[in-house]
Amino acid sequence: MAPHDLRRPFKRAAISDQQRRRDIALIRQSQHRSDSQNRARNLASSVVSLQPEPDPDPETLPGSE
Amino acid sequence: IAGIEVPHKQWPELISALLSSIQQPQSHVKQASLETLGYLCEEVPPQALDQDQVNKILTAVVQGMSTSEGNIDVRLAATRALYNALGFVQANFSNDMERDYIMRVVCEATLSQELKIRQAAFECLVSISSMYYEKLTSYMQDIFNITEKAVREDEEPVALQAIEFWSSVCDEEIDILDDYGGDFTADSDIPCFYFIKQALPALVPMLLETLLKQDEDQDQDEGAWNIAMAGGTCLGLVARTVGDDVVPLVMPFIEDNITKPDWRQREAATFAFGSILEGPSPDKLTPIVNVALNFMLSALMKDPNNHVKDTTAWTLGRIFEFLHGSTVETPVITNENCQQILTVLLQSMKDVPNVAEKACGALYFLAQGYEDVGSASPLSPFIQDIIQALLTVTHREDAGESRLRTSAYETLNEVVRCSTDETASTVVQLVPVIMMELHKTLEAQKLSSDEREKQNEVQGLLCGCLQVATQKLGSTEPTKYMFMQYADQMMDLFLRVFACRNATVHEEAMLAIGALAYAAGPNFLKYMQGFYPYLEMGLQNFEEYQVCAITVGVVGDLCRALEEKILPFCDGIMTQLLKDLSSSQLHRSVKPPIFSCFGDIALAIGENFEKYLIYAMPMLQSAAEVSAHAATNDDEMIEYTNQLRNGILEAYSGIFQGFKNSPKTQLLMPYAPHILQFLDSLYMVKDMDDVVTKTAIGVLGDLADTLGSNAGPLINQSLSCKEFLEECLQSDDHLIKESADWAKLAVSRAVSG
Repeated sequence: MAPHDLRRPFKRAAISDQQRRRDIALIRQSQHRSDSQNRARNLASSVVSLQPEPDPDPETLPGSE
Repeated sequence: IAGIEVPHKQWPELISALLSSIQQPQSHVKQASLETLGYLCEEVPPQALDQDQVNKILTAVVQGMSTSEGNIDVRLAATRALYNALGFVQANFSNDMERDYIMRVVCEATLSQELKIRQAAFECLVSISSMYYEKLTSYMQDIFNITEKAVREDEEPVALQAIEFWSSVCDEEIDILDDYGGDFTADSDIPCFYFIKQALPALVPMLLETLLKQDEDQDQDEGAWNIAMAGGTCLGLVARTVGDDVVPLVMPFIEDNITKPDWRQREAATFAFGSILEGPSPDKLTPIVNVALNFMLSALMKDPNNHVKDTTAWTLGRIFEFLHGSTVETPVITNENCQQILTVLLQSMKDVPNVAEKACGALYFLAQGYEDVGSASPLSPFIQDIIQALLTVTHREDAGESRLRTSAYETLNEVVRCSTDETASTVVQLVPVIMMELHKTLEAQKLSSDEREKQNEVQGLLCGCLQVATQKLGSTEPTKYMFMQYADQMMDLFLRVFACRNATVHEEAMLAIGALAYAAGPNFLKYMQGFYPYLEMGLQNFEEYQVCAITVGVVGDLCRALEEKILPFCDGIMTQLLKDLSSSQLHRSVKPPIFSCFGDIALAIGENFEKYLIYAMPMLQSAAEVSAHAATNDDEMIEYTNQLRNGILEAYSGIFQGFKNSPKTQLLMPYAPHILQFLDSLYMVKDMDDVVTKTAIGVLGDLADTLGSNAGPLINQSLSCKEFLEECLQSDDHLIKESADWAKLAVSRAVSG
């Protein structure tokens, strides 16, 4: 039960550059993931608008309830 | 042992035994028993003890603290035990009489003859201020008197705790006011009592006095913490708590002291100024800063004292951080004074290490303010000089002192991030320079462990710098083309860096490789053979979970860069990711990104994900069940739950989209009921954040799009395709609306088919 250390950051920026590098990488990755998803969806929409309705294959329907 | 056994009710007689030994007449037995109780309270969680036990412990502890207890060691042990017991005494603090009594005993202990008892009693007050902020009202006047006396007259360890009490109250009020947001609609569980605002006229003068009590070499000593440092830090928190009101109380002190012959007075005045720059409005501060800026620049060049220069450079950095940038209406930096500021900062980088380090820090924020300036940055004409000056700093013999080298590289990073098209060629030229530096560190032989540690630090900084440059230059086609000429050599260096076993360096190199993969696209394939073993190593790094998390993110980068060409590596990657998820050792924060990564892999390899479905889907399903009903009041847990949900949903999106237009879509059909149920339960629980809402409604669209009319009846039965979708279509958040539009289109096709 030694006295607890109460030092606070002194003349230091609130966020280190190392943390910013991590954060920026995460933002980049999540942005690119979202771009890829949107691309896939846009592609799907445009394919569908050209071919309005692909026939479903009835025999492949497993019990889904 | 008690820490393990008591929570399981396996040592029921322990507490009563300790309580009875506290009643023994021998002081050393009392002391030892109280210390043991203190340790026990430190170790066991609050719910492990019932209220009757808590009451008895508290009575014994408070008795031990009271002035009637003659033995100093017993009083000290009791005071420290109370510190550890504070988390247990919620009920007692809700009872006015009991609380009054505890507070009286603690306050009396702050006046003890014994320094250690006073210090421990103030520690209790600090802890009470954060745990029981809302119960403090009737004690604040007395506590102010006690802390003021301690700050002004007591020895340093006690004075530091007394200041910490006020810093801690500021922390609480900043948090509460943060929760209120700008509109004061009281969205916080605890109301703000504005203790700091009320104490301001007396608190600020007390803190200003402490600023004059600097130690001689405090800026050179990394471990230093003294009353002036604590006082200035507290003043900064006070400014953040009360905003504009602090300014008129501090300005006279600054004006009186800033030109005094004694360096302590000049430094204290400057420190006071720097401390109040965050919190008050720009309207209040800008006119003052406009007057002060020239004085500060001149002090940085000419003041004979290093502490004054250190604090001046830091204050300039704070001015640039809070009063400069595209969001500031009246910026304090203009095209006219920009060059003068730069000249002073670059000159100051040649000063002693602690001053040069702060000058680098100031330049960091100066550059950051120009981040969104567009093509014509006022820094552009000077970028060559700035980069050269920073590189010169990194080569200084004394760059290892005062974090100088780190600060120089970090500033270089910010300068690169904020560079514009017109300076791109200068940034490209920096790349081989940094690579050469990294190469040199890899050639160094037979280093002592100290030298190796320093070398690792430099390698981490250099990899960080290459990461920033890669990301910047890889983001536009012309710069990417210029940059890619270095890719082979750079990758070679990163692979050599992995041979050095150091977590920080691995993390930095891994991040840099992620950025390089994005820039290289499908051309990254040629590096995969060499890189793969290190990728697997990163995914296996349970202990340094940050490395593992970053590596998982890099797998996503590789998926997007290589697309189906990543397939030969997927067995290994998936095996490792599944192992990670099954491990109880791995930090929980890595699990959501692993789920998202499943989606990245599925999207890249399409129907080839088939063989992983039987492993991935049950894991997603059980995680979904847990996360759908993880209702809690704990903010941290809510955030984690939402991250987990988002990861699971991103996995589902990637898997559906990957199988789209494949003859194997029927393989996903068995999973559809559960996924729709998951979406429905998220909708019903109503505690999703916006990101999860957007991803969830997107999954509905992806499911409908991929499974088509096969899933029509199933979709039609879900809540998600009705109320949830309708709510999202009405959302103000355009990302949610966009996903909902997509879902609506896909659902209507599936249902109508």
